[in-house]
Amino acid sequence: MNCQRVQETFIDYQAGTLTAAESAAVREHLKTCLTCQREWAGWQETLLQLDRLPTEEPSERLRTNFYAMLDTHVRQAREPSPFALMRNRLDRFFENLVPTRPALQFAFSAVLLVAGVIVGARYLQPAATAPVVTDPATQSQLAELQQKVDSMSQLVAYSLAQQQPANTRLQQIAATLARGDADAKTLAGLVSTLAFDPSTNVRLSALEALYAHADRPLVRQGVLASLPREGSPLVQLAMIDFLTSVRDRDAAPAFEALTRDPAIDVAVRDAAQRALVQL
Amino acid sequence: MIAVLTEIRVHPCPSVVESTEESVAVNPVEITDHDLMLAVRAGEIARLGDLFERYHRPLYGFFVRLTGQRTASEDLVQLVFYRILKYRHTYRDEGKFSAWIYHLARKVAADHFRKNAPVVLAEPDDLHEVPDRAPHAADQAAQADDLALMHRALGTLPLEQRELLTLHRFHNIRHEELARLFDCSVGAVKVRMHRALGALRERYFKLRQERAA
Repeated sequence: MNCQRVQETFIDYQAGTLTAAESAAVREHLKTCLTCQREWAGWQETLLQLDRLPTEEPSERLRTNFYAMLDTHVRQAREPSPFALMRNRLDRFFENLVPTRPALQFAFSAVLLVAGVIVGARYLQPAATAPVVTDPATQSQLAELQQKVDSMSQLVAYSLAQQQPANTRLQQIAATLARGDADAKTLAGLVSTLAFDPSTNVRLSALEALYAHADRPLVRQGVLASLPREGSPLVQLAMIDFLTSVRDRDAAPAFEALTRDPAIDVAVRDAAQRALVQL
Repeated sequence: MIAVLTEIRVHPCPSVVESTEESVAVNPVEITDHDLMLAVRAGEIARLGDLFERYHRPLYGFFVRLTGQRTASEDLVQLVFYRILKYRHTYRDEGKFSAWIYHLARKVAADHFRKNAPVVLAEPDDLHEVPDRAPHAADQAAQADDLALMHRALGTLPLEQRELLTLHRFHNIRHEELARLFDCSVGAVKVRMHRALGALRERYFKLRQERAA
C-alpha cells in the first residue's frame, strides 16, 4: 500500500470496517511511514475533539410548543368535518328509512315495484309519437301539402336527370324495359319521366314501359296524377288507354274533368268520354 | 504516542456515538420508531409524542450545529414534527424512520438557509464546563480551549460538510443511509467525508497554530 491509498482508507480504518488483511496492511504501513503517522495522528486528534463537542439541550419551550401543536391536531382529527357530519346524518336517515332485515328489504322492494307499476299505469299516458289531427279541413290541407312536397321532390330528381339528352333518356327507358323486373325506385323514375319529361316521345316510351307494371298501385297512381298536367294530346290519349286497360276506377273523376275542360283537344275529350263508359 | 493513538482510536463508530447524549437509546423490547410512525400514519396522531421524546434532542443538536442559533433550532425541530404530521401519508413501509426524519430535517434546514443568511456559529456557553477525565485543572482548561477551537473550525465548514460530519459523528447515521440522504453512492459519501474531515482538521490545526502564536 502506498501513502495515498493508506490515507484514503483512514475513514474505514477508524470505523473498523476494513477487512483483517487490509487493517494489518495499514497498521504495518503506519509503523514505518512517518508522513502517514503524522496524518493519522492529526485525524485522531480531530475526531477526538469533534466527538467531545458538548451537546446542547433544548429549552422547555420546545416541548410546550410541540405538545400544543399535537393537541391541536389530535382535536382536529377527533372532530369530524362538517361535510362528514352531514354525510353521517344522511346515511343515518336512509338507514332508518330502509328495513335492515333481508326479507323485509325484499318485501319493501316488491311493494315499491307494484306501487310504481300501478301509479304508472293510472297516471302516466304513453307519449304520443306524432300529433294526431282530427280536424278534416286540416287533414286535407296536410294531404295536399304532402302531395306538393312529393311532386316537388320528384321534380328535383327529374331535373337532375334532365342533364342528359333525350335519346339517352330513351335508351335508359329501353334498358328498364329489357330488364323486366323493376323495383319501386325504377318505377318512380319512370313515373317522373312520364310526368315531367319535356319530350313527348320520351313520355310515351315511359308510359309504354309502365304497361308491364300496370298491376302495381304506385304505377296506376303515378299515371293518374300525371294526366291532369299532361299537355300533349298524344300522351293524354295513351294515358287514357292505359288507365282504361287496367280498369282503374279512381281515374273516373279525372276523365270527367277532361270531358268538361274546353281547352282540351276534342279527340282527347271523346276518348275520355268513352273511357268513362267503359269504366 | 502515535502507537498509543493507533491502539486506542481504532473502534467502530457506534461506540463513539454511545458516549454522546444525542444517541437514541431504544430498548429492544420497546416498540420501534417504524411501528410508531406506522401508527401515526394510520391516524393515531398522539403517538407522535413518543417519537418526539426520542428524536427532539438529536434534531435540536443537529440544527444547533448547522445554524448556531438556539431559538431558531427549536422552531426548526417543531417544523420537522409538523411536517411529519402533514406528510405522514408519504411514509413508506420499507423505509427506515431515522433516515426519513433526517431527510425532512435537511429539507427544513435548507429552507431555513434559503430565507436566512448563514450566521457564524456562536460559541456554546457550556464549552468550558465540559466534564473531563483530565485530572489537572490546567489540562481541563487546555482541553476546553481546544473544544472551543474545534467548535469554531466546524462552524467555518460549508453547510454540506457540516451536515455530513454532524449526521455521521453525532447521530450515528451510517454511510449507506448517508448515501441515500445525499442521493449519491456510498463511495461518494466516503470521499466527501474524507474531504470534510480533511478540511476540518486543516482549519482546526490552523486555529491552534494561531492561538499558539
